[in-house]
Amino acid sequence: MARNRQAAGWRAIGSLRGVAIPALLLALWEAGAALGVVPEDTMSRPSAIAVAGWRALWDGSLVLATIQTFQCALIGLALAAMIAIASGVLIGLLPALEAVVGPTLDAIRPVPAVAIIPLALLIYGFGVRMEVLVVTFACVWPILIVAVSAVRGMEPRLMDIARTLEMSLAARLWRIVLPAVLARIAVGVRVSAGIALVVAVTVEIVLNPQGLGYSLTVAAQSLHPDLMWAELLWVGLTGWAFNRLLTMIDRRWLWRFHAWAGA
Amino acid sequence: MRRHALGLRLLALLFAALLVAAWQGLADARLISPVFFPSPSRTIAALVAMEQRGDLWWPLAATSLRMFYGWVLASLAGILLGSGLARSGPVRAYLEPFLEFLRPLPASAIIPPAILLLGLTSKMAVVVIAFGALWPVLLGAYHGFCSVDPQLVEMATALGMRWRSFLWKVALPSALPDIFAGVRVSLAIALILAIVTEMQSAQPGLGFLILMAQRNFRSAELFAGIVALGVLGLVTNQVLMTAERWLLRWRTLRG
Amino acid sequence: MIPNALQVRQLSMSFGTHLVLDRIDLDVSDGEFLSVVGASGCGKTTLLRLLAGLIVPTAGEMVALGRPISGPSRERAIVFQDYSRSLLPWRRVWTNVALAYEVRGVPYKERRGRAYALLERMGLGAVGEYFPGQLSGGMQQRVQIARCLAQEPRVMLMDEPFGALDALTRQSLQDEIARLAAQQRVTVVFITHDLEEAIYLGDRVVALSPNPGRVAEIVRLELPRPRHQLTTREDPAFLGARHRLFNLLVGP
Repeated sequence: MARNRQAAGWRAIGSLRGVAIPALLLALWEAGAALGVVPEDTMSRPSAIAVAGWRALWDGSLVLATIQTFQCALIGLALAAMIAIASGVLIGLLPALEAVVGPTLDAIRPVPAVAIIPLALLIYGFGVRMEVLVVTFACVWPILIVAVSAVRGMEPRLMDIARTLEMSLAARLWRIVLPAVLARIAVGVRVSAGIALVVAVTVEIVLNPQGLGYSLTVAAQSLHPDLMWAELLWVGLTGWAFNRLLTMIDRRWLWRFHAWAGA
Repeated sequence: MRRHALGLRLLALLFAALLVAAWQGLADARLISPVFFPSPSRTIAALVAMEQRGDLWWPLAATSLRMFYGWVLASLAGILLGSGLARSGPVRAYLEPFLEFLRPLPASAIIPPAILLLGLTSKMAVVVIAFGALWPVLLGAYHGFCSVDPQLVEMATALGMRWRSFLWKVALPSALPDIFAGVRVSLAIALILAIVTEMQSAQPGLGFLILMAQRNFRSAELFAGIVALGVLGLVTNQVLMTAERWLLRWRTLRG
Repeated sequence: MIPNALQVRQLSMSFGTHLVLDRIDLDVSDGEFLSVVGASGCGKTTLLRLLAGLIVPTAGEMVALGRPISGPSRERAIVFQDYSRSLLPWRRVWTNVALAYEVRGVPYKERRGRAYALLERMGLGAVGEYFPGQLSGGMQQRVQIARCLAQEPRVMLMDEPFGALDALTRQSLQDEIARLAAQQRVTVVFITHDLEEAIYLGDRVVALSPNPGRVAEIVRLELPRPRHQLTTREDPAFLGARHRLFNLLVGP
């Protein structure tokens, strides 16, 4: 009994150590600003940042921006998933197809998604569609690769078992191929989800006038450093929380497929 | 079998050629707007024109250099930090939560504060690039150093190796495969951030070039720039993979 | 008085509440080949790691070459059973051997020559430029032994070194290690679960009983050297020792 309490005590101290450095940095920052050592016109101070952040949350601007960003990220992810899974399964099932189409795809893949930003702007102008286009382009490739290798790497013995059980083609696809493949693809989609968020924010920072990235840029350019740092903190929190959510989904539903997926 | 493979390769070439021809045809027939999709011939013409103007190699070099500096900085920091985290429990306890929070932060979000603090300079760009490119190397190095075979550690201890010797001769080579995996991803991120920082801060380079091309509705130049960036990404990745294959050749040799 | 290479007094080792070794007393003479044999769980590997200085005993003392054991030392070289995990896979065979020289500060120009001299003596000269991954198990183990010999140790501690090898390779390596030990005049503590191997190689055999590990018996072997795989194993003294120890270890 006493041992458990002791262990719990150590764990509490352990988690305290994690906040030690951030807390120290914040304290130094606040003190530095108060003493005039830290330039407030660029760095602001933690207390002002907290106030600005709270106000932005309260008046709904932060929430609106977050929704806009996630909207583009998730739509882009969904589109990318549909395109990539369909083509990936096809390519995986037909090695000849991959031999023919593969080199062309390999030529397009190295283009960084951000290079597409000006093109997307040219086609669609500012707004949701251009951002979705860039996100889709970025997320297609990881999912495509996973889809192809999922179909490719399907345990051949599973097909043998299906044949031994004399399953019909439809049953084979539904009960064996689909589960085996979708699970692995889910892992790829989960990875792409993180990419989707980052790309969305990036497009907004560069030029799209909506979402979290844009409000961050605006705050910086309008010389509101406290709001800017608050927005940055919010972006960080959002990214972190989204990542945690994905990890949780991963652990609850996808963990048993990790061995399969070789992830 | 070999003829089969050759046939497929020809088909692949044919497919790519058909695609390009179709694109050219559609563009010439004005079925797709030339404003958005210049034909391949115009794209190549633009590339050549840029090259002759001296507008290709300089921006390419500028982007590459910034990407390279940021990437090298990130790799060194990542390896050092990764080894420190792997070695010391207390260091991990103090730093890990902080790092876990920083990691999912989109590196491009750092750009506005960086501009505020460092101005529209090359230094700002390199700092942002280094920040973004740090994480894959850090993770790879951490994982690599943590997975050094304990028996190798014992062997080194029994042999009487000093810590610095151990780090350089045993830990680092052992962690190298994981580090390389991280470094490759890092390079891709470095390229992306180099482009983004150029677009944001009007630094000379390919990213800035294609943004300007868009503003002036010069789609041929835009596509030419995209092609150049794709080639840059491809070449840097290939060089890295070749280096990796050579350094890690002991893994694939079999008696 | 012949000096003792190793002296162990009342050595005990516990991991938590689990007692692995119980008051071991042992004396190993300089140049002796001591076999230690016992079933799984009798703590033979723990004993070896204690002698190597890799772990600290919970009770008792150990003295090596006149000095108490306080940690690893180059004078006590350890040969692991899992050879693949004790050679550096990214270095060629000769640089693996030369590692021992590097640690001792031997100048760069000398290292290659000395490493190759050692490899030649062990018949490994032809594979000097190979990577360990390209060699068979038996050869890898010999490379590990070569690396240990490069340390120029006074004591060699061997942890079931031939356990992972096939029977034919094992026999040829047994003869090789016997020859090397005599040639280099090192003291050897050789751990094995193979009773016949222990008797074949040793000047004395220490039999440990399990749970916890205790010295059950020490048998001195009056067998002629050099040993021979066929004749020695048929020697009545060999069979006698085998009988005695078999009953001890496995039971009547």
